Amino acid sequence: MKCNDQKKMSTRLKLVSLFFALFMGVIIARAVHLQVLQHSFLSEAAQRQFVRQYETAPRRGVIYDAMHRELAVTLDVVSIAARPSRIAGKDEAALAIAAALGEEPARMIERLDNERPFVWLARNISPSLAERVRDLGIKGLEFTPSARRFYPNRTLAGQVMGFCGVDGHGLEGLEFRFDDELFGEFSRWTVLRDALGKSFAADRPAPLPKAGNDLVLTLDRTVQTITEDALAEAVEKNQGKSGLALVLVPQTGAILAMAQYPFMNPNDFSAAGSDQRRNRAVTDTYEPGSTTKIFMAAAALESGLVSAKDSFYCENGQFRVGRKTVKDVHPYDTLTLEGIITHSSNIGAIKVGQRIGRKTLYNTLKDFGFGARTGVDCPGEARGLLSAPETWSEIDAAAIAFGQGFAVTPLQLVAAVGALANDGLLMRPRLVQAVTDSRGRLVKSFAPEPVRQVVSASTAQKVLDMMALVNTDGTGSLARLEGYSSGGKTGTAQKVSNTGGYAKGKYVASFVGVAPMERPSIAVIVVVDEPRRSIYGGTVAGPAFKKISEKTLQYLEIMPKSSADGPITACSFSGDPI
Amino acid sequence: MNGEKSNTIVRVKSYDPVLLFGVMALVGLGLVMVYSASSALALKNFGSDIFFVKRQFIFFLVGVLVLIVTRHIPFRSYYPLAYPFLGITLLLLGLVHAPGLGHTAGGATRWLNLGFVSFQPSEAARVVFVMYLAYSMTKKHSLMNQFTVGVVPHLLVAGIVCALLMSQPDFGSSVLLCAVTGIMLFAGGARIKHLLLLVLSIIPLAVFFVVGSEYRLRRMMAVWDPWSCAQDAGYQVVHSLMAFGTGGIVGTGVGNSYQKLFYLPEPHTDFIFSVLGEEMGLWGVLVVVILYGLVIWRGLVIARQVPDTFGSYLATGITATLGLQACTNMAVTMGLLPTKGLTLPFISYGGTSLVINMAAVGILINIASYKGPREVRAVRRKKAMETKERGRK
Repeated sequence: MKCNDQKKMSTRLKLVSLFFALFMGVIIARAVHLQVLQHSFLSEAAQRQFVRQYETAPRRGVIYDAMHRELAVTLDVVSIAARPSRIAGKDEAALAIAAALGEEPARMIERLDNERPFVWLARNISPSLAERVRDLGIKGLEFTPSARRFYPNRTLAGQVMGFCGVDGHGLEGLEFRFDDELFGEFSRWTVLRDALGKSFAADRPAPLPKAGNDLVLTLDRTVQTITEDALAEAVEKNQGKSGLALVLVPQTGAILAMAQYPFMNPNDFSAAGSDQRRNRAVTDTYEPGSTTKIFMAAAALESGLVSAKDSFYCENGQFRVGRKTVKDVHPYDTLTLEGIITHSSNIGAIKVGQRIGRKTLYNTLKDFGFGARTGVDCPGEARGLLSAPETWSEIDAAAIAFGQGFAVTPLQLVAAVGALANDGLLMRPRLVQAVTDSRGRLVKSFAPEPVRQVVSASTAQKVLDMMALVNTDGTGSLARLEGYSSGGKTGTAQKVSNTGGYAKGKYVASFVGVAPMERPSIAVIVVVDEPRRSIYGGTVAGPAFKKISEKTLQYLEIMPKSSADGPITACSFSGDPI
Repeated sequence: MNGEKSNTIVRVKSYDPVLLFGVMALVGLGLVMVYSASSALALKNFGSDIFFVKRQFIFFLVGVLVLIVTRHIPFRSYYPLAYPFLGITLLLLGLVHAPGLGHTAGGATRWLNLGFVSFQPSEAARVVFVMYLAYSMTKKHSLMNQFTVGVVPHLLVAGIVCALLMSQPDFGSSVLLCAVTGIMLFAGGARIKHLLLLVLSIIPLAVFFVVGSEYRLRRMMAVWDPWSCAQDAGYQVVHSLMAFGTGGIVGTGVGNSYQKLFYLPEPHTDFIFSVLGEEMGLWGVLVVVILYGLVIWRGLVIARQVPDTFGSYLATGITATLGLQACTNMAVTMGLLPTKGLTLPFISYGGTSLVINMAAVGILINIASYKGPREVRAVRRKKAMETKERGRK
C-alpha cells in the first residue's frame, strides 16, 4: 500500500515536472518569438518611443541684384497660437492681445471664444510684435518661430524671382532653379528621451544648419524698374493682353531687366494665375513676324549672294505664293535689301529668301540660336519652333523669311539681336553672375559665355546700319532715341489661332533694337500681346523701346551724343570722333 | 506521526550543490539586474543610484544567513509548528489593515511597517501555507483520495488565506496559492476527478473577481491585444514586449536598457525580467529559464527521493511555489498571462521575498539531506570509489 502510494506520488511528481517543463518550453518559444522573429518590429516600435528626430531648417539665401540690392530675403517671423481652454479670462486676454497686435478686439474675442483646442491668433508676424504679446504673460499661448520668404520690392521682377512653397523650397523662377544653392542644409539630430520626456545621452549642443548660399544676379533693380514702367504703359495704352520686355548687354549676355506685365507679387503668388506666374519671356514662344527680317538680311549678306543695295521687285504689294497671296502694308515697286528692312516689306523678304535659298536661311536662323534653348538660368525654357528646311512647303519658306511659321521666345530674339550688336558673336544670356555663401565669400561665378560667331563682324555692322535706318527713315520712327543713336526692327505678327490658321485681329506687336549704334550697350526687346488700339510694332512697342533705352543708357552713364557737332564729343587730330 | 522515521533514513551532510548553484546564480544575476533596472529610478526618487541594490544586497546577506539556519533545522521540526505558523500568518495578514502598522504602496496594502524595515506577510504566507498543507496532507495521507477529507478542509484553509490576500488586494498571490494547492493535492494523490471539480468551482470565483474589478478585467483583455490599449491597460505589456524585442538575441548590454527609463513602471520588481531580456537578450532569458529549470528539477527530485511523506509534500509545495511564481512572472512579462503583480523569485527587488525564498531553499536543502536506503547505498558506493581512487594516487 505504502509502496503503491509512493509509486503513485512519484508518477504524479513526474507529471508535475512535465508541467513545468512544458511551461518553460512555452516561455522559451515566446522568447524566441519576441526576440528573434519580432525583433525588428518591436525594436522599431521602441525606437519610436525614445528616439526623437529634430531638425532645424536652414536660412534661405538672399537674392541680390547686380548692385547687391536685396530682391529676395528671409525674415524671422513668429506665429502665435492659443489653446482657448487653457486661457483664463478669455475676454480680457483677447482685448490685451488685440491691443498689442493692433487688431480689432471683436475679432480676437471671436477667435478665443472657440471650442476648438487650438486656434491661430496671428501668423508670420514680426518677432518684435510677438514679443509684445509675450510680455502680456498670458498662459495658454504658443509662440512658434519660423522663417518667411519676403520680396521687398513686391512685384519687381516677380516672375524672374519665382516663389517658395510652405516647405521653404522654391517652386518657380530662380527660387526653383537655384533651390539647391539657396536652400542650405538642414541640421538634423536625434535626442533619446526617457518616458518622462527628459533627454539623455545628448549633451552636445544642437548642430547649426548650414545657411543657403546667396545669388547675385545680372539683373539691375533700376533697369528692371525702368523696363517694367515702360512696358506697363505700353500694354495699358494699347489695351494689350500682356507684355514682355528684356534688356540685355550684348557683349556679356547679362540680362539687365526681364519684365512681364501683368506683374506678379511673389509675396502673394497664390493670387496670380499660371500665365502670370511663369516667366513667359523664357517659357512661351510667339511668331516673331517682321523682326526676323534682320536675320534674313544677315543671312543674305553673309552668303555673299546679296548686297545691301541690291534691288528686288516687290510686286506692288501683292504676291501669290502657291495658293496664298502675300500683301505688304504699303505697296512698293522695287526696294533694295536696305529698303526691304527699313520699310518692312514682306514680299521683298520673300524675294530675298528665294534668292539665298532655304538652307542658308535655316542655317543662319539656327546659328542665331532659334529653335534651341539659350541655356539661360531660368527654369522651363522653351526651344521655340524652327523646323528643318526639307519639311518647308513653298508658303512655309516664304513665311519664314518675314517671320511667320516659326516661333521664338523673346529671350532668343533679343539674344540674337545682341549677337548682331556684338560683332556677330552670340553670347549665352544669363541672369546669375555669382553664387556667394552666407558670409559673402564667392562660391562660384558665371563668366560671360560666347556661344558662336554667327555672322562676320562686317555683316553684323551692315545689318546694324539697316536697323539704324529703320529708326531714322522707316517703321521705327517712334522708337528713335533722343540724344542717342539707335537701331531696331518692328514686328507685327499674326497670332496663330487655336483652331489652326491665323486668328483674325489678333497680333503680337514687337520692337527689338540696340543703342547706341556706335558701340551698342544694350539690346532691348518689347513684345505686346494682342494690342487693340494699334497693332503695329512700331507704334505699340516702339515708344516703350525708346523710353527703356534712353533711361537705361542714362542710368548706365553712357555719354549721349547730343548732336553732330556737340560740344561733348572729343575730337582727335584727324577730326573723327573717338 | 506516521512512523516512517525508520532507521533506513540517513542524514547526509550536503548542500545539494546543483540546487544551491542554481539559486545563487539567480540571486547574483538578480543583484546585477536590480542595480541596472533600478538605478535610474533610484536616482530620480532617492537621489542615489544604489538605493535599491544596497538594500537588496543587505537582504541577500540576511537571506544567506537564513538559508544556512534553515538548512540545519531538521524539516521535521516544522511538522508540529504548522498550525501555530498558520495562525501567526493569518494574524499578520490581517494586521496589514491595522492603522499605523499597515503600509500601502501602489494601491495595495501589503506591507507591515516594523519601524526599521517593512515586511510583506503574503510572501511568508506562501511558505507557511505550504507547510500547513504538507502537514495536513501527511496526516490524512491514506484518505487523500476522499473528497471530504483530502480536498475540502485544505480548500477551506486556502480560501481563508486567499480571502485575506484578496483584501489587500493581492490577486496574484491568491491565484498562485490556489495553483500551488492544486499541484500539492495532485501530487498528494487526490483524485483527478476531485481536482477537476475544484478547478471548475474556482473558475466562477475567479471570473467574479476579474469582472468585478475594472482594472483586472482590462488587464485580462490586454493579454489578447496589448497594442490596442497601449496607453492604459496594455501599457506595461507593450513596453515589456518592446524591451524583449529590442534585446534581440544578444541584448543591448547590461545597463543599456531604454525601457527601464520610466517606460516600464516596475523595472526592478515585476518587470525586471523584461529589462534582463532587453539587456542580455535571448541568451540571458535562456540562462534564467535554465537556472529555474535546474531549481525546479532538483526540488521535484528531492520531493521524490526523500523517504518521508511530510518532507516530500513540503519539497513539492516549496518547489511548486517558486516554480509557478517564476514561470508566471516570465509569462506575464512576455504578454502570455495578464499582469498580476507577481515578482520574479531571487531576481526581483524585494527584501521579504528574497529572504523567505532563501529560507525555503534552506528547507529544501535540508530535506535533500535525508536519503532513503537506495540513495544511501549509492552514496556509499560512490564514496568508496573515491577513496579507492585516492588510494591509487
